[in-house]
Amino acid sequence: MSAPTSAKPLVPQLRFAALALALSVGLPWAWSLTGALLAAGSATGWSSLAMDVQTRPALWMAVWTGVAATAVAWFGAAWLLAAHFGSLRWAALVRRLPAMLALPHAAFAIGAVILLAPSGVLVRLAAAALAPLASARGLVLDTPPAWRSTQDPWGLGLIAVLVFKEVAFLLWAAAAHLQRPDVARRMGLELRLAQTLGYSAADAWWRVAWPQLRPRMLAPLVAVLAYNIGVVDVALVIGPTTPPPLAVLAWQWLQDADPANNARGAAAAWLLAAVLAVVVALGAGAQSLLTTHWLRPRWSRGPRPGPVSDRGDAPHRSAGRELNATIARAGLHGAYLAVVTALAWASVASLWPFPDLWPQAWSLEAWGQVVQSAGTVGTTVWLGMTSAAAAVLWCVAWFECAPARWQQRAWALVYLPLALPGVLWTLGLHRLALDWGIDASAWGLWLAHSLCALPYVALVLHGPYSGFDPRLGAMSATLGCSPWAFVWRVKLPLLRGALAAAFAVGFAVSVAQYLPTLYVGAGRYTTVGTEALALSGGGQRPLMAAYAALLWLLPAAVFGFAAWVARPRHWMTPRHSSAGLAVQGR
Amino acid sequence: MDPIATPFLGLQLSLQRLQTPTSTLLSDLHLSVPAGCVHTIMGSSGSGKSSLLAAICGTLDPGMRCEGTVHVNGRRLDTLPTHQRAVGLLLQDDLLFAHLSVLENLLFAVRPGPQAQRRQQAMAALADVELAAYAQANPATLSGGQRARVALARALLAHPVAILLDEPFSKLDTALRQRLREQVFGAIAQRRIAAILVTHDPADIADPARLTVLGRQSDHA
Repeated sequence: MSAPTSAKPLVPQLRFAALALALSVGLPWAWSLTGALLAAGSATGWSSLAMDVQTRPALWMAVWTGVAATAVAWFGAAWLLAAHFGSLRWAALVRRLPAMLALPHAAFAIGAVILLAPSGVLVRLAAAALAPLASARGLVLDTPPAWRSTQDPWGLGLIAVLVFKEVAFLLWAAAAHLQRPDVARRMGLELRLAQTLGYSAADAWWRVAWPQLRPRMLAPLVAVLAYNIGVVDVALVIGPTTPPPLAVLAWQWLQDADPANNARGAAAAWLLAAVLAVVVALGAGAQSLLTTHWLRPRWSRGPRPGPVSDRGDAPHRSAGRELNATIARAGLHGAYLAVVTALAWASVASLWPFPDLWPQAWSLEAWGQVVQSAGTVGTTVWLGMTSAAAAVLWCVAWFECAPARWQQRAWALVYLPLALPGVLWTLGLHRLALDWGIDASAWGLWLAHSLCALPYVALVLHGPYSGFDPRLGAMSATLGCSPWAFVWRVKLPLLRGALAAAFAVGFAVSVAQYLPTLYVGAGRYTTVGTEALALSGGGQRPLMAAYAALLWLLPAAVFGFAAWVARPRHWMTPRHSSAGLAVQGR
Repeated sequence: MDPIATPFLGLQLSLQRLQTPTSTLLSDLHLSVPAGCVHTIMGSSGSGKSSLLAAICGTLDPGMRCEGTVHVNGRRLDTLPTHQRAVGLLLQDDLLFAHLSVLENLLFAVRPGPQAQRRQQAMAALADVELAAYAQANPATLSGGQRARVALARALLAHPVAILLDEPFSKLDTALRQRLREQVFGAIAQRRIAAILVTHDPADIADPARLTVLGRQSDHA
């Protein structure tokens, strides 16, 4: 793969600006990490963590759910990529990724509970299907079954939710790379070349494209693993309770009034980080062994023997592949659609006794209550807008000002927050807010959300910025255009799609923040996310569903806005450009 | 080394050394290209042809080092930033800006001034390359030859004092190539621009008397 050519700094003086930018983010991050470290500095915290009977089973639960969800999501995403890339199906998959990304984990979990609970939609559907059979035997199916299908003790519901969310994230990370015009062109050529050398389309993918893509997917994979092992909000909704994953315990201890419990929570957060590091190290070792001894020899082993012309079943097999891909894609889209539909449905079903499929009474009361609490929605929106804008502006300034070498070195640091458990960062951000005197204030909340959105925004913009043709800058300069005018008149307009997408992602990340909102905001600021989570345990199903639906609607609206900004230009000629695809990113 | 004493109309390059971080690409290269003439540079891949052009127009990569001077019409250019050098560039790829229409691409190169006058200049330039009908078109819908002509018109609209041609014909088929060559060389002669052409194709050589082949000992023109 060609090394990414990063944007050249415009003038050397910009290094000061780059330094200031680096400090403006590096300082709060370093402060947060140090604060988290100091919070776990007491020996009593560690000893009480070691003595707590819940610690060990909770830790195993976190590792089991985290690793299982990550592994299934990884192989699922890899398989979906193989089945879709290089065909029109790929575009169909990529087009819907933003809508899937816009659905926060917590909203997905709440929708999943409405579907999967003993009195949930799926059981009602089964009961309706079985009703004739049951009544023939004189049975009435009027009570929900006594099983635990949502907070099941094995964490299967938690794993399922995480898998659906992370498959979408991993596909999106892959698409961010594969959609780069230079990469897409080159990859397409290489795949076709491999097929002329006798490899089937599937073999060509696994031996040529995937080995090149995989290294770029490892950082997103670590982020997924860190998220899954340290997840709190999803686990509160759908995760097991006896024991809960360790992150949930850590969160409860951190929120406790007793400082001794806080110290134990801080220790638990670091324990999670340590376990995460061990899992990553083991995984890295295993994958490097696997690559050298098993995969690498296979990549260059040569096409599968057998005369190609005798493969009478080839069209049949490719049709089977296509069918499998369509079913898998439909399953992925269907799950998201089912969750969103369940949320919308439950939000207006005021009287909905088991086992009715159709509610007995409809009501917009829940939405009325949402409208009345306009302050909550307002807080969510301004927080999302300002933090997404700050993250996008920071990234643009950084990509323009920082020398290429700085950008390469800083990349690992930008990624760091994604590779550590969320509880740990929340603990650090809280200490930062306390030390800087901005806890329980709008400033503190904005800083926390901006810092959380930044890595994701940088992730979105990195590809388009490094794929930007540097010759355009040279060309524009030879036409007498100054470097700043070039950025303003050429670069930003050409990158407007990526910038709008980055803003939408930043907004979605902010909307989904639960831990920092509650902890740094000291409970004084309620957002749609904290409301939905607070309601998830109680009996107000319509209100909970309405807030959870809103949790998806707000980011979805911003993603829609981003798509509108990125729309291809309308050309005033008889000849129209053939498709937006050809124009996108050029 | 050799300060230019007498005013000379054209481009004068006096290059002591052009270095990458690891090696020396070129050394002791001296060229004088009179205004309106095309000097051709040939050489194998990696001989430093494109880097030489980048040094002249000021777009060398950060790691590269260049010792030498560039003068055009007696004015020293190598100390100026690229956008103040008035050195034009035509590449193998047309590099039309994808978000701008054909006319807007041309307007991009026209100096600030009254809007109607700028537009008139751009339209005239478009008519010169026989593409007036495509003013509002999306550049992506044009053929390769049409795009190359738009790129030429755009480069000329910036009123360059010198122009650098980096294999600008290599992506076109033979018939188009001959036509564009005549157009480019004609414009250069007519406007008295000094030009340096880098190519692999001997048929591109504008003037056999003005030829440098890099990668050999005889580096002097």
